[in-house]
Amino acid sequence: MIEYIKAALLIIAAILIIISAVGLISLSNTTKNKVYARIHIVGLFDIACIIALIGLGQYLLAGVYFILSPFTAHAIANAYWKNEDRENNVDLMTVEEEVDENHPFIHPKEKMQALESENSEKLKADDRFSVTTIEIDEEE
Amino acid sequence: MDILLISEYILVIALIIMMLAALRASAYKSTSMGLLGSSVIVNAFAVALLIVGSLYNLQFFRDISLALIFFGFVGTVAFAVVLGGDDK
Repeated sequence: MIEYIKAALLIIAAILIIISAVGLISLSNTTKNKVYARIHIVGLFDIACIIALIGLGQYLLAGVYFILSPFTAHAIANAYWKNEDRENNVDLMTVEEEVDENHPFIHPKEKMQALESENSEKLKADDRFSVTTIEIDEEE
Repeated sequence: MDILLISEYILVIALIIMMLAALRASAYKSTSMGLLGSSVIVNAFAVALLIVGSLYNLQFFRDISLALIFFGFVGTVAFAVVLGGDDK
């Protein structure tokens, strides 16, 4: 009788693992918050592994796994949030530009905008935007 | 054939499928997905090692899978802390 219960637990674990594998692969790349969704799917895999360990009679390993797996999921989600989540984290949406003020060719965007707004009248007649033409005689 | 033996083989096949799926998932763009995929592969290998060890009477398989589960967790959390950076 116990053998049947163990076999049932292992088969349930196998079914859950296959479902989580299909979910992990078939999640579209256009989905919002897909990394969190995949972490959620891995949570299903963890529980399936715990069921399998109970079915195999390894209760200590099942307990250790049951305690440790939420910490893993939270650590990965926290690292993603802090470093890579540009959809939700406001701090990562703004990109800071570090431009050297003494650089001869590259100027900060704010400085150029201020310069253009100050001299907007002057810019119309500015020689920076003058167009030169060369006259070519066909006879030559 | 024993039903327990058949279910163990089915579970090993499911774990191999999950390892392949996690290998694919770890190749996605962000670093966190690589971390997640490697964590899944280690845990799946630990459970598969438990089954294979009991099938073929290997020695130390319980200790090795305990070490895989525990040190896999430690490595994943350590890498995640380094990836996350300091608190502002």
